[in-house]
Amino acid sequence: MNRSRFALLVALVLTFPVLGGCVTARVEEIREGRTEMSGTDAIAVLGRRDRPSTNETEFDFVECVARNMGGTSGIPVVPDKVFRDTLFPWFEPRTAPVNTRDLPDLISHPAFVERLSGLGVKYIVWIEGSTRRTDSNGSMSCTASPAGAGCFGFLTWENNSQYEASIWDIHNGRAVGKVSSAAVGTSYMPALIVPVPIIARVKGSACSSLADQLKTFLTADS
Amino acid sequence: MSQRLNNLRARFRSGFPSLWLAVMLSACAAPSIRVEGTFPVPLVNAYPVTVGWVLDEALTTYVHREKLDKGGDWVIDVGGVQKAMFDSLSRGLFTSHAFLDEPRAAAPVRGIFVPTIQELQFSTPKQTRSDYFEVWIKYSFKLYDPDGTLRGEFPITAYGKANTQNYSMNTTTGALQEAANAACRDAIAFFTLQFKAIPTIQAWLRDNGLEAT
Repeated sequence: MNRSRFALLVALVLTFPVLGGCVTARVEEIREGRTEMSGTDAIAVLGRRDRPSTNETEFDFVECVARNMGGTSGIPVVPDKVFRDTLFPWFEPRTAPVNTRDLPDLISHPAFVERLSGLGVKYIVWIEGSTRRTDSNGSMSCTASPAGAGCFGFLTWENNSQYEASIWDIHNGRAVGKVSSAAVGTSYMPALIVPVPIIARVKGSACSSLADQLKTFLTADS
Repeated sequence: MSQRLNNLRARFRSGFPSLWLAVMLSACAAPSIRVEGTFPVPLVNAYPVTVGWVLDEALTTYVHREKLDKGGDWVIDVGGVQKAMFDSLSRGLFTSHAFLDEPRAAAPVRGIFVPTIQELQFSTPKQTRSDYFEVWIKYSFKLYDPDGTLRGEFPITAYGKANTQNYSMNTTTGALQEAANAACRDAIAFFTLQFKAIPTIQAWLRDNGLEAT
């Protein structure tokens, strides 16, 4: 391998992060009640892990939504683990309220309400859904030996994200609305010695659009 | 510059076989995990009673070993975390507790629990064709009066699962450890919330004037 070819490969590798596939995202909102956030109010963003459902929302998606909703100028967010640990064992997979009908029982416990007030949580945002690979095509073969390594081929795959956030007013024990986010995108990976991934940030796009819409939803009436 | 590039390439070539071998071996090795850490204290009204716990060596050194067909030897160590589990559970459920060497104690202890792990099972994503590791732990609890009389025995089966999608780099070890941890956490939750529904416990509560708690 001569010097210019090696430099070209290094340049390709350095170019990876700026390449991205196309993503189409859609957000929908259903409002069932008025929402209001004051300066001290916080929210808890939780991933659904109920039984007997076999699916659960990825941690990184829940963290992404919480991070995008929070931040310096955002809404105060209590992380999933902190919320579950503080109110243990009432939000475990076996015990978490499945719908708002279960809330009055919970908020009738003085110790529960006291701990909840300590966290300052006014709304719970339950996130359900996942990102799935819906299609994939192409092939790639790689070889490696002490003399060097290389790949040849072309891969393409489509990812589909479907998430829904249900917002509960925990003090009043009722649902105030739902926000859903769907995104679809195709990623490509051509390889001529070095694979060049052109990744569609499907999950990231679904996350940022869901978080933005949730922020608008919660602060609209404030 | 050219010399530097040549050095880089030479290093890559000389180190590549050993790196490749290490990657291949780590990919083939079955995981060995150990559940560690602390657990949250249950948020419930504590029973105004002192209880004792006898955690014998079989429990505190419990390690599950299983050889899977074409899957290697799997090791799940949950023994080391048992004391932390029952300590957290007791701090929420009772006003005080003590760890004892035998199921016999003087006042103020009014009941002594002796837990044992009867069975631990797990499943891998490959077995269930899913994204999840799952762990079941079947406990048996014996309840003794302070004078050493056995009152009864009851089982509790805890369950935990973890999504491999959450662990991109160390999928097997991280997800299996999280599933085992979730099962331990579920054991505390289940014991706490089912406590007064267990007939043996109901009789013990009644005899100790604790029914209304």
